[in-house]
Amino acid sequence: MTAPAPHEPSSASLVRLVAAREVATRIRDKGFIISSVVILLVIVAAVVIQVVTGSGDEESRVGLVGGDGSLVTALEAQGEALDVDVEVVELDDEAAARTAVDDEDVDGALLAGADPELLVRESAGGTLEAIVQGAVGQLAVAEQLTEAGLTGLDVPEVAVTALDADAAADEQRVVAAIFGVVILYSLLILFGQFIAQGVVEEKSSRVVELLLATMRPWQLLAGKILGLGVLALGQIVAIGVVAVVAALAFDIVEVPGDLISTVAIVIAWFVLGYAWYAAVFAVAASLVSRQEDLATVLMPTSMVLIVAFFIGIQAASDPGGLLATVTSLVPGLSPLVMPVRQAAGEVAPWEIALAVVLMVLAIGLVVRLGGRIYSGALLRTGGKIKMREALAADRA
Amino acid sequence: MLEFDGLHKSFGDVRVLEGVGFTVAPGSMFGFCGSNGAGKTTTMRIAMGLVRADAGEVRWNGRPLDQASRRRVGYMPEERGLYPKMKVGEQVAYFARLHGLGAAAAATAADEWLERLGLGARRGDAVEKLSLGNQQRVQLAAALVSRPEVLILDEPFSGLDPIGVDSLAEALLGQARAGVPVVFSSHQLDLVERLCDSVGILARGRMVATGTVDELRHRESGRLLRVVVPDADAPWASSVPGVRVVSERAGDTVLELADGADDQAVLAAALRTGRVTHFAWQQPSLVELFREAVAAPAPAEVAA
Repeated sequence: MTAPAPHEPSSASLVRLVAAREVATRIRDKGFIISSVVILLVIVAAVVIQVVTGSGDEESRVGLVGGDGSLVTALEAQGEALDVDVEVVELDDEAAARTAVDDEDVDGALLAGADPELLVRESAGGTLEAIVQGAVGQLAVAEQLTEAGLTGLDVPEVAVTALDADAAADEQRVVAAIFGVVILYSLLILFGQFIAQGVVEEKSSRVVELLLATMRPWQLLAGKILGLGVLALGQIVAIGVVAVVAALAFDIVEVPGDLISTVAIVIAWFVLGYAWYAAVFAVAASLVSRQEDLATVLMPTSMVLIVAFFIGIQAASDPGGLLATVTSLVPGLSPLVMPVRQAAGEVAPWEIALAVVLMVLAIGLVVRLGGRIYSGALLRTGGKIKMREALAADRA
Repeated sequence: MLEFDGLHKSFGDVRVLEGVGFTVAPGSMFGFCGSNGAGKTTTMRIAMGLVRADAGEVRWNGRPLDQASRRRVGYMPEERGLYPKMKVGEQVAYFARLHGLGAAAAATAADEWLERLGLGARRGDAVEKLSLGNQQRVQLAAALVSRPEVLILDEPFSGLDPIGVDSLAEALLGQARAGVPVVFSSHQLDLVERLCDSVGILARGRMVATGTVDELRHRESGRLLRVVVPDADAPWASSVPGVRVVSERAGDTVLELADGADDQAVLAAALRTGRVTHFAWQQPSLVELFREAVAAPAPAEVAA
């Protein structure tokens, strides 16, 4: 044979070899491909459904000549009160307004001023008129009160506009975050299963003995987690991109920047959550030797994940509540709760920092302790091994 | 030299190995025998770093085997292990890479070995689609693909048909001829007798016999004498000094002679009973040696 002499591979190259095998095996696996496609289709379908059901809401484009920001917000707020998506288009002058109305570019155009006038093509339609009337009236009342010296009473204007506008954006971010948590949960479960099945496959086929003759258990564990992690990250990024593009294409978000930042937050938390859950799943799976026993041993971790998921959903309606606040800091739960709180804007930066630090510490702990259980349990077959035994048997 | 030196191992209260040691010279084949549960697999796993010895070590060329030098060892575990759904060629190449070969070298070496073991046509099939015998060959390819300096094989012949046994034996002899020390365990003692330069018998955690088959045989045959005296009707041999009767049935007598006992005195005693139809030192087969060694309650008396 003429092959060059083998060299001693570094830890990194062993980890890379294991990871590359995981990726290569997985991307040729029909189950994986199908599940990936299905998830993407579900996202697109969800966006489409959002559009279809959302179209039940009336939409109205209102041209505005003159007037200031307060009038725009008043119109939008009024629209919201009447369940109509109001879009205000600022126009230069009356001529432009007439053209816009004629071209059906806007449903109506409001000429603001002392004697406000609403230009429409045929008739104003009940809601449009109500929106404009309400907005103008509200402002006028406020103005007159101010003129009458009752400056303290301009509260309604400030309160209505500011709070409502914020809530709308918050709500959209929270919806995006809930979406994100659902995806995050699904992917964590899916890839947790992949990892666990992979570990048991190696144990039940006894190939692990051959592997451990060439590498240390932690290298095998790290390679598996990284390999599938790359796939998982690719998948969640793809989902994020598809979701953002679809949402923008179908015009269901008002502030794209908010959506993108929420997606980024979800992805960041996914990385932390994945690292933790993948390690825990792998370690748990190493305790059994048969796929049939897997469900039992994964149950506790799955339960944690499910509980975290429901708390995350619940946090959407009460992001500042005690439950959400506490759980958003607890490692293991935080990846599914914190993104929702962050999206809702109900969280202080130090809380995020603390949650991240705690999560990173927890990952470190799981990798260290779990790695020992993993290496103690890998070569023991038959039945379910107790964690204590595995720790004691670590490379015994 | 591949040296197993004073290996001790306990699992809980069970003492599995109590000072196992033997040496395998480069280019020689060592047959590792012992009853089930004697500790053969544990010994091999210690060599591969899969089990940590309580005491003792395994050395290759005078240096204890470590993670790096183990990469130069070809290993076949008792429980065969391959990824069932991975393709044969990729799998063998993967193990070559884990042993430190580059991607291209690994692929070439994998193809070469599969071809040599008659699996060239199956390289694109998933391992689980192969017959057991062929899976065994893939396992061997995985052990040989990195051109190991040492081979440690746990029950490599189990489950093979006679033709499979022959081709595996041929492959192992080829490795030994190339200067690789080969250690393998087996229950097929005729095979061990045929292939191995030296043999070790493990019982109750100790090596109860090591040496070449001839040496072992000699050691035994120096003591056991079979004499057939069909006409004898009374115990005739026990009166000869230094002789112990091992068994006697219808004149077919097996005698154990202490050092210095005179076999000619035994013959004279036998002739006094009448006809002597058989008088010879026992040439025990390895099976008998094995039985003897494993059954002996006091292993010290046959220990090398």
